[in-house]
Amino acid sequence: MEDWLREVTEGKIGDVMVVGGGISGIQASLDLAEMGFKVYLIDKAPALGGHMALFDKTFPTNDCSMCIESPKFIECDRHPNIEILSYTEVESVEGEAGNFKVTLIRKPRYVNENKCTGCTTCREYCPVLVPDPFNQNLSFTKCTHIYFSQAVPLVSYIDPEACLFLKDRKCNICVGVCENQAIDLNQKPEKLEVKVGAIILAPGYEIFDPKVRGDYGYGKMENVVTSLEFERLLCSTGPYEGEIRRPSDGKHPKKIAWIQCVGSRDTTPGGNSYCSAVCCTYTQKQVILAKDHDPDIEAVVFHNDIRSWGKDFERFYQRAANLPGVRFIRSYVSIGREVPESKNVTIRYSTPDGVKEEEFELVVLSVGLAPLPDAKELAEKFGIELTPHGFCKTNPFDPIETTRPGIFVSGAFQGPKDIPESVFAGSGAVAHCSELLSHRRGKLAKKRIYPPERDVSGEEPRVGVFVCHCGANIGSVVNVPEVVEYARTLPNVVYAQEDLFSCSTDAAQRIADAIRENQLNRVVVAACTPRTHEPLFRDTLRVAGINQYYFEMANIREHCSWVHSREKEEATRKAKDLVRMGVARACVLEPLQELELPVNKAALVIGGGVAGMTSALSLAEQGFEVYLVEKEKELGGMARRLYYTIEGLDVQAYLRNLVRKVYQHPLIHVYTDAVIVEATGYIGNFVTEVKHEGRVKEILHGVTIIATGAEEYKPTEYLYGEDDRVLTQLELEEKIAKGDRMIAKAGSLVMIQCVGCRNEERNYCSRVCCSQAIKNALKLKEMNPEMDIYILFRDMRTYGFYEDYYRKAADLGVKFIRYDVDDKPEVEAVEVEGRSVLRVTVTEPILGQRLAIDADILTLSAAVVPSAGNEEMVKLFKLTLNPDGFFLEAHVKLRPVDFAVDGIFLCGMAHYPKHLHEAISQAYGAAGRAVTILSKDKVIASGSVAEVDEKKCIGCGTCVSACTYGAIELQDKRPIKKAKVNPVLCKGDGLCNSVCPTGAISLKHFTNEEIDRQIDARFEEMRTEVGVA
Amino acid sequence: METVVLADYKEIQNFVREKSGDSFRLCYQCGKCDSLCPWNRVTSFSMRRLITQASFGLVEIEGEEIWRCTTCGRCTKECPRGVNQTEVSRALRTIATEYRVFPSRAQPISAVGANLATLGNPLGEKREKRADWAEGLSVKTFTGGAQILYFPGCYLCYDPRMKKVARATANILNAAGVDFGILGPEENCCGESIRKAGDEELFNRLAKENIKTFIEHGVRKILVNSPHCYHTFKNEYPEFMVKFEVIHTTQFLLRLIEEGKLKFNKEYGKRITYHDPCYLGRHNGIFHEPREVLKRIPGLELVEMPESYEESLCCGGGGGGIWMETPKGERLSDLRLEQAIGVGAEVLVTSCPYCILNFEDSRLTIEGVEGLEIKDITEIVQEVI
Repeated sequence: MEDWLREVTEGKIGDVMVVGGGISGIQASLDLAEMGFKVYLIDKAPALGGHMALFDKTFPTNDCSMCIESPKFIECDRHPNIEILSYTEVESVEGEAGNFKVTLIRKPRYVNENKCTGCTTCREYCPVLVPDPFNQNLSFTKCTHIYFSQAVPLVSYIDPEACLFLKDRKCNICVGVCENQAIDLNQKPEKLEVKVGAIILAPGYEIFDPKVRGDYGYGKMENVVTSLEFERLLCSTGPYEGEIRRPSDGKHPKKIAWIQCVGSRDTTPGGNSYCSAVCCTYTQKQVILAKDHDPDIEAVVFHNDIRSWGKDFERFYQRAANLPGVRFIRSYVSIGREVPESKNVTIRYSTPDGVKEEEFELVVLSVGLAPLPDAKELAEKFGIELTPHGFCKTNPFDPIETTRPGIFVSGAFQGPKDIPESVFAGSGAVAHCSELLSHRRGKLAKKRIYPPERDVSGEEPRVGVFVCHCGANIGSVVNVPEVVEYARTLPNVVYAQEDLFSCSTDAAQRIADAIRENQLNRVVVAACTPRTHEPLFRDTLRVAGINQYYFEMANIREHCSWVHSREKEEATRKAKDLVRMGVARACVLEPLQELELPVNKAALVIGGGVAGMTSALSLAEQGFEVYLVEKEKELGGMARRLYYTIEGLDVQAYLRNLVRKVYQHPLIHVYTDAVIVEATGYIGNFVTEVKHEGRVKEILHGVTIIATGAEEYKPTEYLYGEDDRVLTQLELEEKIAKGDRMIAKAGSLVMIQCVGCRNEERNYCSRVCCSQAIKNALKLKEMNPEMDIYILFRDMRTYGFYEDYYRKAADLGVKFIRYDVDDKPEVEAVEVEGRSVLRVTVTEPILGQRLAIDADILTLSAAVVPSAGNEEMVKLFKLTLNPDGFFLEAHVKLRPVDFAVDGIFLCGMAHYPKHLHEAISQAYGAAGRAVTILSKDKVIASGSVAEVDEKKCIGCGTCVSACTYGAIELQDKRPIKKAKVNPVLCKGDGLCNSVCPTGAISLKHFTNEEIDRQIDARFEEMRTEVGVA
Repeated sequence: METVVLADYKEIQNFVREKSGDSFRLCYQCGKCDSLCPWNRVTSFSMRRLITQASFGLVEIEGEEIWRCTTCGRCTKECPRGVNQTEVSRALRTIATEYRVFPSRAQPISAVGANLATLGNPLGEKREKRADWAEGLSVKTFTGGAQILYFPGCYLCYDPRMKKVARATANILNAAGVDFGILGPEENCCGESIRKAGDEELFNRLAKENIKTFIEHGVRKILVNSPHCYHTFKNEYPEFMVKFEVIHTTQFLLRLIEEGKLKFNKEYGKRITYHDPCYLGRHNGIFHEPREVLKRIPGLELVEMPESYEESLCCGGGGGGIWMETPKGERLSDLRLEQAIGVGAEVLVTSCPYCILNFEDSRLTIEGVEGLEIKDITEIVQEVI
């Protein structure tokens, strides 16, 4: 058996297996590992990343997708509690919750994973070109290659379909050129058994393939591409290095069309009837990015509804739509023809003035999210059920629970969803695992043990320099041996060496050995970015017994070889400059101690709605004490006003059960009718005062979860409040549930959507109202099939599986009339033939006619508005709101339930309007994230924090307002106030010391001296040259 | 802008529903139908508008628009919401027919209906002349048993151009030694097109008469040239709880070839293109057989037009279109001929009487297509056996 395999086999008992290495699986793995669970992370692809790794940017922030995801690959790779098994598939699953035995098949890579350094030499020499799967086959790579350059594991694999040796035993060049003898062309699939207590399924989705039906000429016309292909075209690591070129002739297209809903909202055979939920917004992103690439591009998006249902999506849509040369046209289309000479494609579309045909140089199909092609097999292996659509069947009140206990699901296998929802579902699945396995938390976890730190304070600086080739990334541009030679000539440098990959496990060992053998007390690594790799090297220093802050990185990759690939000599000179500067700074670095703080293992959950209660219950089930604070007299929040779900489930019964469980749980302390009056402290050690029954109680807790919900807008329009027959959707729901007579005898009912939002005052979509309207309409039709129901809407935003209910409502005769925001419906109370009705008049856009509907009841889909108490929470907990008044998370995509302030989490409608099951999912997510802290005995705060020299401080408070983390306070030190930094809250961003007028604040590890030395070193040679030195 | 009070139209709304089923309710106004509708290549017609009108009961029953749709099925096939536009069109015409309102475009329907009712054909020809096409050929009257009923349909029986196709078919059948017979004067119009033109009652009558004749003669298997006959026998007659085996000539030809009963002895050295009739291709999925027959003809070069198979361009003849006058410049068959010329075809081959008649008409009225021949597939086969 192979060495690498034995190593895995020996440690074959874990806590949780995560199946799928996309962003949801990654998040789940990291959270589990942080909690102290041993995780097996399985990915069938050769590297982690899933679909997110293929995207150029992510909406609505347009962050570089790889840049935000790849640090997580490295975190997984480095985490002692995570074992990554890439290129591996699950064969079978036996056992039950708490005790599963999973049989895995490791597909042969034909490369020994432990020996391969990822140097890519084999790729250079491999003679066989193959289409590059990472680039959607739009460009070529070699048969022997690494999946993509940031891949984890950074190991080559060989495509057996193309390899000349594996096909006909003809070529084995790669075997000879690999200096590490890592190529093993005789590798066979290996079986592997792993025992775990729980399983998280995060296998993701498939992109809808338009080739099968030849949709819109795809597969026949060269200049028709999928949106994923376009994503690669946009990307700098794509087939044309980020230049948008079209397939037929490589020209830069000047006129591009996007066709929405390809394979989605489509009941014809081969289509998916549901809405894929993400395509509207990803298309808007692609339009914005295309215009960034080339402002002259003319972009047309053909769509039906615009579904900007997510946080900040509405503004994002406006941003795209308002760009010059961008048109959004409301029409599905058909392809006219391919122009033979130019290979341009014509598109036919409907307008109120008839059908038009327009020519485009490139057509992008906004393809939907399809279920996995092997979903059935997968379901059989895991013994779970699927929905008729082929996604994972889940508990409607808990989208993380599958039909089999102990197996949980997260990400797009639950149904089409975007990145943040996949991320918090990942954390939510972790909470479920942790509830199930709380008794064994930490038992299998590995801890690193470090030798005592050597005191080097009396020593002269002895600097070691390690220069990395980074495979060919640096080595093919910068003359690494020359840089090493140069480093040896620098003052205080006593040792220098080169490495193929300084970050590889064996290189880390060599660095540690070199530190000990040469009595080094400072280390400079010239390699890539500290953003991803500094923690790794700091760890190496600790292993070698010196303070981790004696480390400095010179970034000769991103700042040098990558940007100067054509200027090799200058690049080598710049690398030397960077190394010299690094050495200069390293010499004056000081040892810093990190702060270790005890963790109070209790949580405070603010808000007793479904989200808050779910979080509280999950935390308690995971074994932690919880204080649940609710401002109202009763628990339940918004759910108290909901009676049924669109699927027909009884919300009140669910709620009663949940409330009972919360009250019965011995670890949960409920405070209703309670107000928070004071909040201080920081992660692990919060102190919050709650006023309850006339007394103030002090609660000590390690984490806080904000679940303060949202409210229904009180309309001021459409006769609301003036006429009893005008109701909000929630009021209608209550009346339906209570069998109100007015509803029972109503013959016609009109609903108006977007009341109080998607306007100037509230420039966002309340997300739930379209489905809420459909839900109530279906219920009314169930009660009285003859009732005339009209829904007046702007865009029907029944994203995901809600689309099926939209169609069902239409099928039952509910009529939908689109209205324009500039021509809103009008309502008046009138008498018609002795009957008193509400006459609603609206312009029907297809007919161009004003229609008057005589309604017995008018229902307004009133906006969801932020909770009135949000401002108070912001002050108490030093949080931030977004422009719409909802809480602002730490990162829209990857930290959707975290706040920027450590130890505080967010879930439910306080984050943004959402459906009940979505709030529940997010609540579990927040509970999962919170336990990554509560499960630890202490939290560590960085040593690189700001520090105030009280003698210089004049107490002006400029620093206090500059700090976004509330880490600085003014303390009364008579006669004047003085700033004081709380090192636990300080993130070391340096904002305060740049604004301090007297230079009283300094930032440790980035002191003036340290930076001055570095800058001086840059100009040292220059000064010598002009004779200043 | 005038305001329409919807309550006043509730009755029509219900009427449309009653006649056409509920599929129009599914429409989400995406406009896909309009973008696909062939009429929008030559004039302006909005199926989306018609569907929207139908759903509010605001249709102009007396207007021209409801008579536009040729029921080609292009939009129905691709409608993402599953609206059956051709059915809605048909239903609206049913209402117009019941009220006897025919705008100018639909004027001929009235006369066609009278002919069908009295003579069993839309052309006003005498019933007893129905078998005249077979004069001089050895064509028997259907006697039952294992025999195949050859049902040429109205146009092949009476139209001078189409008679050639009936004769070609009979010749092929004889050459292949097929035991077949015809009903002659006892044959009635199949009723497919008048149904699409809104006369449900007449369709019922014609269908019932045919069914009665079929049963009386012990018919089991019916061979048809017209995809319209094919469609209604196969998919609509079962509404009367009967089922016959229906076979289209293209299918039968291929079967004869495969069974070795039909052999090609001559070459047909021409470049041809095949036009899929809507009711053969799109409505009934028969794409392979006609092409396969053509491919087996020695020397024949088959090329495809840009819109073929599922995307075939309608000739304009379906849905009663064959009886209605379409002004010059608005004829879909003109476009099809241009497409055939565009791919360098010398012969435009198809297998539907409506298509052939419309194409022949276009051949005479537009320029630049003089060299193009229009043929039924049986006519080519006849030449090479």
